[in-house]
Amino acid sequence: MGQMVMVDKKKMDADGEKASINDNKQTWPDLDTPNNENETVHFHGKNNLNNILTCVLRIIMGAVFLYASYDKILNPEAFAKAVYSYQILPDTLVNFVAISLPWLEFLLGFCLITGIWLPGTTIMITLLMTIFIGAMIFNMSRGLNIHCGCFSTDITQGPAGTGTVIRDIAFLMCSIYLTLRVLCFSEFKST
Amino acid sequence: MSNPIKLSNPFKQALWQIPAITLMACLMALTINQLRSDRIPVVGDWSVDARFSDSAGDSLVISLQQAGALFDQKAVLFLDARPVSIYEEGHIQGAISLPWQDIDSHFMEIANQLEGQKNIVTYCDGESCELSHELALFLKEMGFDNVHVLVNGWSAWLAAGLPTRTSNVKGTEEGNGSNGNG
Repeated sequence: MGQMVMVDKKKMDADGEKASINDNKQTWPDLDTPNNENETVHFHGKNNLNNILTCVLRIIMGAVFLYASYDKILNPEAFAKAVYSYQILPDTLVNFVAISLPWLEFLLGFCLITGIWLPGTTIMITLLMTIFIGAMIFNMSRGLNIHCGCFSTDITQGPAGTGTVIRDIAFLMCSIYLTLRVLCFSEFKST
Repeated sequence: MSNPIKLSNPFKQALWQIPAITLMACLMALTINQLRSDRIPVVGDWSVDARFSDSAGDSLVISLQQAGALFDQKAVLFLDARPVSIYEEGHIQGAISLPWQDIDSHFMEIANQLEGQKNIVTYCDGESCELSHELALFLKEMGFDNVHVLVNGWSAWLAAGLPTRTSNVKGTEEGNGSNGNG
């Protein structure tokens, strides 16, 4: 692939018509192959926009996960009650999840912002958001009027409603976009 | 020519990164939980009596039968800890609305009605609803004794066919006529 970029560029200089045919096959530059001094990789404007959007979303989602973990880490007992109130997990697992989940969110937020282990991180945030939304919709559908426990363990914040689900679906969309970018385009390959 | 969109490497990385992140999070969480003073047990006791207990660990739970008997003897004041709008849709006959969400603004309004009550029973709705428990703990802290929690109060009361009312918070109560066996 990387060699093709070089060859195509030479042909483009010599024969514009043939080069344009080859260019059609060449949609994305391959960054797996280390660039050498003869090779030029072109990013189109759309790619740059996507790269900027990916970075911005990574930081936003990272901040969301760090913020979400903060209050839960400080108040494990209150968060355990929130987990219990969902009435999805068996009682024996409630405390373990209440202890572990905030630190998982913290680590994922940290990895998103710093760019460490992005393939695993983006898949995990997508999975987590899917589970959160599923749990909320499941409980709303069976008439359980529960507190969200998403960002705060304070039960005076009021029960989770449609607005909470819509907000989380927006986060899920961001997660899916990030996951696709990281998995399908190797410029975001983890170091 | 290789595929222009490479899928294999990031997927392979994700395969080991996901368990690694999960394991790290669990290890961090369990270690820090053990080190902190307000740690919680890794396996908790979520029985009804354990969940609805006071600061000394004593259960605050009152059974539906006991609550019904006190109601018959007119020896109890029910406090509805749910939001006002839900209270207005239906509540235990004679219950006063004291929504936990607005405890600061509502408590002083009804504080004088709590004085001298032999028994106070708080309730909300749902087995896992914590509003009634929080309200009961608050009342205990405020110096009221004989405060109890009727777990899953509204649903249990309704299912037992005990008297209910619908009303505005400040309006006159109206019996809904469907439950009048006292």
